[in-house]
Amino acid sequence: MSQGPIRRYPGWALLAAAFLGSVFWVFTRSVPLGDDRPVTLRIAHWQIEQGPPEGIDAVIKRYEELNPRVRVKQVRIPATVYRQWLRANFSGGIAPDIVEYGAWLDGLADFPARYFEPMTTELMEPNPHNAGTPLAGRPWIKTFVDELLEQRLNSPEPGQYYAVNLTRGSVRLFCNRELLREIAGTEVPPRTLIELRQVFARTTERARRTGQPLHALAGSRDNAMWLMEYYMGGLMIRRARSLDLEGVHGVYPRHIQRAYLEGSWHFADPELQAGLAVLQDFARQMRPGFLQLGRDEAVREFLSGEALFIFAGTWDATTLRRSAPFTVAALRLPQATRDDPVVGSQVMGPFSDGDNSTSFGFYLNRRGPNRATAVDFLRFLTSYEGSRIFSANSGWVSGIAEVPVPPELAAHLSPGDGYSYGANFIFAGPHLRMAFERNLHQLVGPQGTVESMASVLEAEAPAAVRADLRIEQRTANVVVLPQDARIAALGHWMATTEAGVAARLRLERLEAAQTQSEARALMIGRWLQAAEAAGPK
Amino acid sequence: MQGVPRGFSLTHFFPLLLLLVLPARANDSLAGTWQLLAGNLPGEAAAALTTTTSADPRERALAEAVVLVARQPLTDARLLEAERRLNALAAESDEVGAAALYLAGRLHQLHFSTPDYAVAAGYFRRLAERQPASPWAQLGLVKLALLTLHVLPEPAGPAARIAAVEALLPRVTRPPLRRDLLIVLGRARLFHNLEPDRARANLLAADAIGGLTGLAAADVTLQIGELCFRAGDDARAREYLQRFMAENEADPRVFTVQQRLRAMATRKGTL
Repeated sequence: MSQGPIRRYPGWALLAAAFLGSVFWVFTRSVPLGDDRPVTLRIAHWQIEQGPPEGIDAVIKRYEELNPRVRVKQVRIPATVYRQWLRANFSGGIAPDIVEYGAWLDGLADFPARYFEPMTTELMEPNPHNAGTPLAGRPWIKTFVDELLEQRLNSPEPGQYYAVNLTRGSVRLFCNRELLREIAGTEVPPRTLIELRQVFARTTERARRTGQPLHALAGSRDNAMWLMEYYMGGLMIRRARSLDLEGVHGVYPRHIQRAYLEGSWHFADPELQAGLAVLQDFARQMRPGFLQLGRDEAVREFLSGEALFIFAGTWDATTLRRSAPFTVAALRLPQATRDDPVVGSQVMGPFSDGDNSTSFGFYLNRRGPNRATAVDFLRFLTSYEGSRIFSANSGWVSGIAEVPVPPELAAHLSPGDGYSYGANFIFAGPHLRMAFERNLHQLVGPQGTVESMASVLEAEAPAAVRADLRIEQRTANVVVLPQDARIAALGHWMATTEAGVAARLRLERLEAAQTQSEARALMIGRWLQAAEAAGPK
Repeated sequence: MQGVPRGFSLTHFFPLLLLLVLPARANDSLAGTWQLLAGNLPGEAAAALTTTTSADPRERALAEAVVLVARQPLTDARLLEAERRLNALAAESDEVGAAALYLAGRLHQLHFSTPDYAVAAGYFRRLAERQPASPWAQLGLVKLALLTLHVLPEPAGPAARIAAVEALLPRVTRPPLRRDLLIVLGRARLFHNLEPDRARANLLAADAIGGLTGLAAADVTLQIGELCFRAGDDARAREYLQRFMAENEADPRVFTVQQRLRAMATRKGTL
């Protein structure tokens, strides 16, 4: 019997099959090595936890369907290196068209004025992507639930808007609902600090009885610091109000620093000791050695069912919900009330656990080659349609008005029912914060006490607070310096041409902002001088 | 001889034509340069200056001095050179000369690595005496007030410093700058805990001039409301606190303001 050609020439047959397979692949599956779209936008951010990248990807997919000429690439940068990455990329002139930025990022105060392009003109006009939606015809800025409050607070040039924000959130006590039912016999969450302590006690008892690893709170240094920030802010409201000499219903870090150097508050004060006592109490509900762990470890502990609660920002909510094999409920962390036996005497009233201001701000690279397309993409990202897509795919609440909040996310929003004085005495500056973190073991370690922590802080704080006040002064000057050239240019331009009302208003706002910033920097200088003259505290 | 390549067209010469055209398109005004400087783009402004041909030489020299001050890296040597040029421009009493005097003062107030406030104050005083109506002299008076309040050796003592600045106030006639100075004065009084009633009057006068936006506007409105509350002027306190709430719905301080309004209602039995 004669052999077929395949058996007679197996090598050739294999080659032919491979060739045909390749042809099929090339014509049906492959993508060109180069991009077939003439415009490529890059958008960079550090929100690389579960949720936001998927949300932005979904928006990009829809945008690319609508705009066949545009390719949008999402650049995800870990938060730990974001500042360095941002500085290197902008200095090197290779930064993406759109980047996330926050005014609180240490060492980057010069960025908005130097590298970003305001979007004020566009924000005053309706967002064309909102046509046919409940937001049709509204100026873009009026479509944000807070009309971009954060920009009003932090814009380097008053009246100019440099960013659009995507979301809003809060801090929450996330709970393993099934485990709560097992431990407490009910799914009704604790409403007061007293009830919460009762749940803590039952959790400890259960762990002792069963011998299983179980703690009431997932533990890490980060989560402990967030707790500290929350309770200390609440317990210091009365003291903060007493420091509000200017009557602005709030205190800024510089006020707290000045007051400390003038001897108006101490770590031995009862409010501060009450805050430290709450933290010590909560730290005992975390696993031993939590100070050495980061937030990811706490998330893992919670997801494995070894912790009943985890206290975190709603930025972690999607990760928790999508990864947990149990039901995750977002609860408002019970606050200390006036009848609390431990800290009640220091309580003035409810304090804020989140507000309705928007965040996750995207800024426009002023040297980006595709400004018009970048603005258009930001318009779509923050449009009614884009925001719905983002929210549905990210699990984050949209910052855009009229966009429905999914029922499972409603608990992420706070109704604005608490004092908010910005009264974080422990974290009033980076040096003081570092001193606190460095000595946290004095409070929550096996031999730790409130008194020893207060005593160590009292010893280290004078130098730390002075250093922080100097940073405040430098920051005020950093903002002021480049404004001289801008004021000179605008002023001369107006004097020699018909520059118009917009230019006049811009000049007046710049002058006003510069004068007030300078006054602030000079006042801080006087405080420092007085502190130096008074000698070591 | 080599023939013309196939496919020849005029487009092959476009780059050359562009080179010929570019110098002819150079700017003859400095408007673009000023706009770039106003946009905080000093590098681009320096480049734009090189293509500007027939601008007024004094205006051009001023622009060059501003670029010198604005570009990085900034050194004291470069600032000295900027000051030399500004002083040369300041010899004439026109608007360029006024701007030059003002900027020279600012160099000593803020830009040199070691500030010399007395020299800065000297520039601002000279400018205000020479060209009092110039916008630069007016702005210089505001800066002189800041120096007087906080860093100049004389007059000594908070009350004397505030009185000296109060004396400057009539000379600041441009409304936005007068408003800014009133706010500075009011806050200095609060800072030193002196004459809270006059601090309130300063802020009310500033508010009457108007034009503030953003956080500055919100803070002044709230300050007036709170100071009126503390002084027992509940009617005016209510007016300003309610205005704050209406204009700043999403401000996290709204809850605190609501509590203030409740406290007033309890105090007076009305709201």
